[in-house]
Amino acid sequence: MFTPPRSANLIARRWFLQQCGIGLGAAALHQLLLDEGRAAPVTPSDPLAPRAAHHAAKAKRVIFLFMAGAPSQLELFDYKPQLAKLDGQLPPPSLIEGYRAAFINPGSRFLGPRFKFARHGQSGAEISELLPHTAKMADELAIVRSCVTDAFNHAPGQLMMNTGAQQFGRPSFGAWTLYGLGSESRNLPGFVVFSSGSKGPSGGNSCWGSGFLPTVYEGVQFRSGGDPVLYLSNPRGIDDAAQRETLESVNRLNQLRLQVTGDPEIATRIASYEMAYRMQSHAPEVMDLTREPRHILELYGVEPGKSSFAANCLLARRLIERGVRFVQLYHEAWDQHGNLKNDLKKNCLHTDQACAALLKDLKQRDLLKDTLVIWGGEFGRTPMVQGGGDDGRDHHPNAFTMWFAGGGIKPGITLGTTDEFGFNAIEDRVHVHDLHATLLHLLGFDHTRLTYKFQGRQFRLTDVHGKLVTKLLA
Amino acid sequence: MRSRCLLSLLVGLLVPLLAKAEGKPNVSFERDILPIFQSRCFSCHDGRKQTADYRLDVRSVAMKGGESGKPAIVPGKPDSSDLVRRILSDDAEIMMPPSGKRLSNEQITAIKRWIEAGADWPNALANEATGKVHWAFVLPSRPSVPNGTTWANNPIDRFIQERLTRENLQPSPRADRVTLVRRLYLDLLGLPPRPEEVDAFVHDSRPDAYERLVDQLLASPHFGERWGRLWLDAARYADSDGFEKDKPRFVWFYRDWVVRAINQDLPYDRFIIEQIAGDLLSPSPLTPLCSERDTRTQLLPSGQRGEETLQEQFVATGYLRNSMINEEGGIDPEQFRMEAMFDRMDAIGKGILGLTIQCAQCHSHKYDPLTQTDYYRMFAFLNNAHEANVTVYTPLEHAKRAELFRQMREIESELQHRKPDWRQAMAKWEQSVRGPLPQWTILRPRVHDESTGGQKYLLQADGSFLAQGYAPTKHRVHFEITTEAREITAFQLELLTDPNLPRGGPGRSIEGTGALSEFEVEWAPADAPTKKQRVKWKQATADVAMPVTPLKAIYDDKSNKKRLLGPIAFAIDGKDETAWGIDLDPGRRNQPRKAVFVAETPLRSDKGITLHLYLKQYHGGWNSDDNQNNNLGRLRLSLTATPDPVADPLPAAVRAILAKNDEDRTPGEVQTLFSYWRTTVAEWREANARIEALWKQHPEGTTQLILSERQEPRSTHLLKRGDFLKPGDRVEGGTPAFLHPFPEDAPRNRLGFARWLVDRRSPTTARAAVNRIWQAYFGIGLVSTSEDLGTQCEPPSHPELLDWLATEFLESGWEMKRLHRLIVTSATYQQSSRLTPELAIRDPQNHLLTRGPRLRVDAEVVRDIALSASGLLYPRLGGPSVYPPLPGHLLLPPASYGPKVWKEETGPDRYRRALYTFRFRSVPYPALQVFDAPNGDFACVKRPRSNTPLQALTSLNEPMFIECARGLAGRVLRDKSTDEERLIQAFRLCVARPPSSAELSILKDILERQRVRFQNQPAQAKELLAEGPAIDGSISRPEAAAWVAVARVLLNLDETITKE
Repeated sequence: MFTPPRSANLIARRWFLQQCGIGLGAAALHQLLLDEGRAAPVTPSDPLAPRAAHHAAKAKRVIFLFMAGAPSQLELFDYKPQLAKLDGQLPPPSLIEGYRAAFINPGSRFLGPRFKFARHGQSGAEISELLPHTAKMADELAIVRSCVTDAFNHAPGQLMMNTGAQQFGRPSFGAWTLYGLGSESRNLPGFVVFSSGSKGPSGGNSCWGSGFLPTVYEGVQFRSGGDPVLYLSNPRGIDDAAQRETLESVNRLNQLRLQVTGDPEIATRIASYEMAYRMQSHAPEVMDLTREPRHILELYGVEPGKSSFAANCLLARRLIERGVRFVQLYHEAWDQHGNLKNDLKKNCLHTDQACAALLKDLKQRDLLKDTLVIWGGEFGRTPMVQGGGDDGRDHHPNAFTMWFAGGGIKPGITLGTTDEFGFNAIEDRVHVHDLHATLLHLLGFDHTRLTYKFQGRQFRLTDVHGKLVTKLLA
Repeated sequence: MRSRCLLSLLVGLLVPLLAKAEGKPNVSFERDILPIFQSRCFSCHDGRKQTADYRLDVRSVAMKGGESGKPAIVPGKPDSSDLVRRILSDDAEIMMPPSGKRLSNEQITAIKRWIEAGADWPNALANEATGKVHWAFVLPSRPSVPNGTTWANNPIDRFIQERLTRENLQPSPRADRVTLVRRLYLDLLGLPPRPEEVDAFVHDSRPDAYERLVDQLLASPHFGERWGRLWLDAARYADSDGFEKDKPRFVWFYRDWVVRAINQDLPYDRFIIEQIAGDLLSPSPLTPLCSERDTRTQLLPSGQRGEETLQEQFVATGYLRNSMINEEGGIDPEQFRMEAMFDRMDAIGKGILGLTIQCAQCHSHKYDPLTQTDYYRMFAFLNNAHEANVTVYTPLEHAKRAELFRQMREIESELQHRKPDWRQAMAKWEQSVRGPLPQWTILRPRVHDESTGGQKYLLQADGSFLAQGYAPTKHRVHFEITTEAREITAFQLELLTDPNLPRGGPGRSIEGTGALSEFEVEWAPADAPTKKQRVKWKQATADVAMPVTPLKAIYDDKSNKKRLLGPIAFAIDGKDETAWGIDLDPGRRNQPRKAVFVAETPLRSDKGITLHLYLKQYHGGWNSDDNQNNNLGRLRLSLTATPDPVADPLPAAVRAILAKNDEDRTPGEVQTLFSYWRTTVAEWREANARIEALWKQHPEGTTQLILSERQEPRSTHLLKRGDFLKPGDRVEGGTPAFLHPFPEDAPRNRLGFARWLVDRRSPTTARAAVNRIWQAYFGIGLVSTSEDLGTQCEPPSHPELLDWLATEFLESGWEMKRLHRLIVTSATYQQSSRLTPELAIRDPQNHLLTRGPRLRVDAEVVRDIALSASGLLYPRLGGPSVYPPLPGHLLLPPASYGPKVWKEETGPDRYRRALYTFRFRSVPYPALQVFDAPNGDFACVKRPRSNTPLQALTSLNEPMFIECARGLAGRVLRDKSTDEERLIQAFRLCVARPPSSAELSILKDILERQRVRFQNQPAQAKELLAEGPAIDGSISRPEAAAWVAVARVLLNLDETITKE
């Protein structure tokens, strides 16, 4: 392991050596130094060092189950008996005045809910028959039926939900979290992303990008098969011992250069190589689900060796146990313009059990209390039908449902009401910005003070918006 | 690792404290004091707000004090300064800041010490001249150059030295020659020098050896590759559309234009003007390739000289078109055209003006004097263009075209020669085709939304529909209209060209073609709309007869059906597998076409007729997320009651000429007429066939996204809160009043705007340009916020130097290479980059330029160094982007939204410079992304420079790095014969200098250990050597593998990827 060179008898150099963590170049450090928005005193050379937030945090880490494509709230969480009665009728013109839809004529007929609902748990939350496992966890959930966003196309919608803006170039929620709190893990990235389902997310890499924040804060894509992180495995013909020798030679030569040049970046690079090496041994261990007992695998519905949303849920738990700050799971499957009934059934079959298992598992490990779990997509779906077969719904930004659990969320509540058609959120509207403000609050931040100066302006996740939704707080 | 860093303290606290300990008062206003004012005082005391008539942004007012009448800052006397009294006080009446946190002890100490030392406040930051105007909004005036010592090579050094003297610092000694030659190569070419190039310079004893090397490198074509890449960041260049579909686009002509422009040292003003308005520069004698009425038809294009120059200029406008395009299902194309417009404004702001103007799309700028109206007035200049996609040709293809057209003309002359009375014969023919044409009534039917598969059919003023937005590969669009017609005998379908379609259309396919699988019509009497009957066809005619041709592989739908294109009969044969095609050959693909469908029995109803028209477009490929649609791009439907009409075989352009009187026709028009007419002359069958054969040789060309000005201007409105659905007042093109005036002699259009951007009176343009170039050399600009020189920018570290460079740049006629030469020949640039303990404390970030830059090189250079050291680099310039190895799963769902095509290169293109690596925005090339290459989503003028474990994993394990290790091992095994020679050579190939004895012994040690390892594990040796460049078979495999292992170490050295 790295030790400061003996000739480093000079105060300045020793300082640098001790300071040097991983990640930022000198110029970027300068930028961080200028920032006042960050909570704790900045430790510039280790931008990922754990830090305290503005206030005591309820949530220490986040698992965001991103249901990309936009699931139908009307079949899952927002039961509308009146809509069932209006099935086949035209919406009142006043309702759709000025409304823009992506594909359909806004004046299309209403489509009643296609599945049955029942009340669950002591809280009596109304949940669809498609989600029997989630329903059993009803008393852990805060279901918000009144979510509202600005976008109704997928890529802008996903960016909005992740970065608070429809345009590319802003840091994601995960990146802000890492920027604010640092990472507890020295062997794994602080922000990890998985994808499952039939497609990748519409917003692409920018969904977990760092925007104008330093690139060390961006999400790192893992996958459940093959190398979990790109280039994690040694090249063919290089075993662990050879890799270690290589690394040591590189570090020895780098140390000699450090003595000559005095550049602390070299010390940082040495540390980076050491962490890379540790990651090589730790990441495969984390990803190895055969280490999980049978009852846990069954709880989630995981078949080891097979990539799935369920496997990703279990991996998320393993990652946060090891100090990863933010795990985001994309499951891109919910864009039911057609084939609503069958595809929803299938999607719920693929996700319901694992979502519930994750909550149960976190709870039994006493992790749920400070782990924030988020479930939801980029927008909702229209109460109006799309297509001829009464089996599809279009994109809808005016009202959709998300649920939250753990990490300081008030359990067992259903917040917000939509109108009788499920078209507009009318009570306790929660805009994406409000959601971000609230989630940051749970992580210990005043959303107006978690800022980063870029292009002459202090930027924040909530832009100039965002109200704390106190009803969601435990 | 978790220990807290003291660097923050160094900057804020230790500098003054240590200085005091050494008895050298050196608090710096811009570094130590201004930031305190900015962060804690300006919110009430600056240009926007002057509580108590006091402001701290103007030196004289700051000194004099506000309404209290007490002097706020008395140089040398902190105790008499009211400002100090207030920041120390606890009395709520007088304390400052009045609320919130107190200033820290360090900040208070710094302010006191600064006043004690004389409250030195540099003129450049005084804001005095105008009292209100921010320094960067005032035209730079040429500062006088301070005196210097013999250390100074040029004025740059004198400015640097003056500041160092003030700070009681000395410049670092000159770097050694090996370091210098590598620094120059990396900076100017982005490639490391070969050992022989190092030696040549080291042994060049001529006094001007360094300057000669600089000139040599500035003349290298690789210079443009290196510096072009930096501009491409600002131009947000990428090879795909972005957003969900992120389809490949073909815009490398623009990339090559940038490289060429920089190599040819196109003056910066011209460089910008061509990119903003190259298409408007010269009223061209040629038919613009993207004219609204395409007149090329099937006639002979001019192929005149000058076509290439013209192409160069409009290719340059690709700069504005590097915006992303959203074609996901259900989008409103206008919304995303607006997003692209905002992106262009942002790129111009950051990249050219050095100003953040983005915020003014929603509201007036909070800090800079830019109003929302100003923003939309600039916007108006850009808002009048087509989002055009044109065919472009390489020089070889241009030559080929010219040759083909020459041959065609020759044949035509020969025909004219053989038939001296051709004019009379043609006139006779003209009479024969003049007869009355059928009267067509244009239909403006309604589109059934659910039938379009998500594609938008936008109704145009001429009754045609333009297909935009999502492009499904298969759909059957349903049009419906109730007409007053009582009798209909036939329908006409016109396919029209449009600049906004690929290659100008008339189709939406990547080739600008389209296919009509079936044309179906149902009708009913208007008073009995449910009595629908299917129209049976008697015949169909078209003005193009494509031979029966199997569908191209790019439209493969994986159905294994035999799908064909061919004559118009295919559109009424009831078979979905056959379609009417229009693709004759690359030279005649993109022309308007028409077809006429005659009903078996005329449609008749006294009460009018309700029509349902269906256009089946089933000839696209399997993947709608890729460039596989084969849709019609712009179409118009019409009907007639004329009996048995046929599609007019004459192109519209020929009809237009016929409409003119003989004497009004130009020679070119006569020639056009002739070119059509000859095809109808039976006796010329043989000559016509020869010309047909020539057409088949026409080159494909490639495409380029450009802007082309609309003939009908769009009206531009201020958009409330930036929402395109909330237009406010109409605005005319204009520029912000707080900047320089619009050039009087410039047209009030995009070209005038371009000229305004680079007007000599612009206060920010030249400063932004020189600052960005400076930043590339030293890692940090003279203004560290290089994207924003506005009021919120960081104060310049050397304001006079910035202005001197800006004025020098202007006076030299915006010559970029001259500026580069000036910087790299300065003594400042040539300093050693060694960080001494003293400098670590006094100038940790090198703001003062106390030493040379030592920086990890940019992502592309990281890759290029490995390729170059290994000898694998294929240095070819320009051309289509290439596909080096990439982990395949990244391009497939669920990692990528849709499957992407990536044909991994197996030939020399595998080893091209990273500049040429294909860039998908949504799937950035990982080995570049990890080293902070931007993905082109938006303009980037300052890359971050991170240092992470993922970088280590990449250079240790990524397959190309391993191939480079094999290449490097093979190279030294081949070129040198002893261990020591080989080690030294390999080391020098990576870092230019020879290893020290300590380094050499480490290398020998690892070589020895790897030898033992691979001798004991021969299977592993074989595996390590299994792929990539082969190593001479006469060397034992364990020996070769040991060398690969050593090469891998060398490629991973910090120094290898660092400019020292």
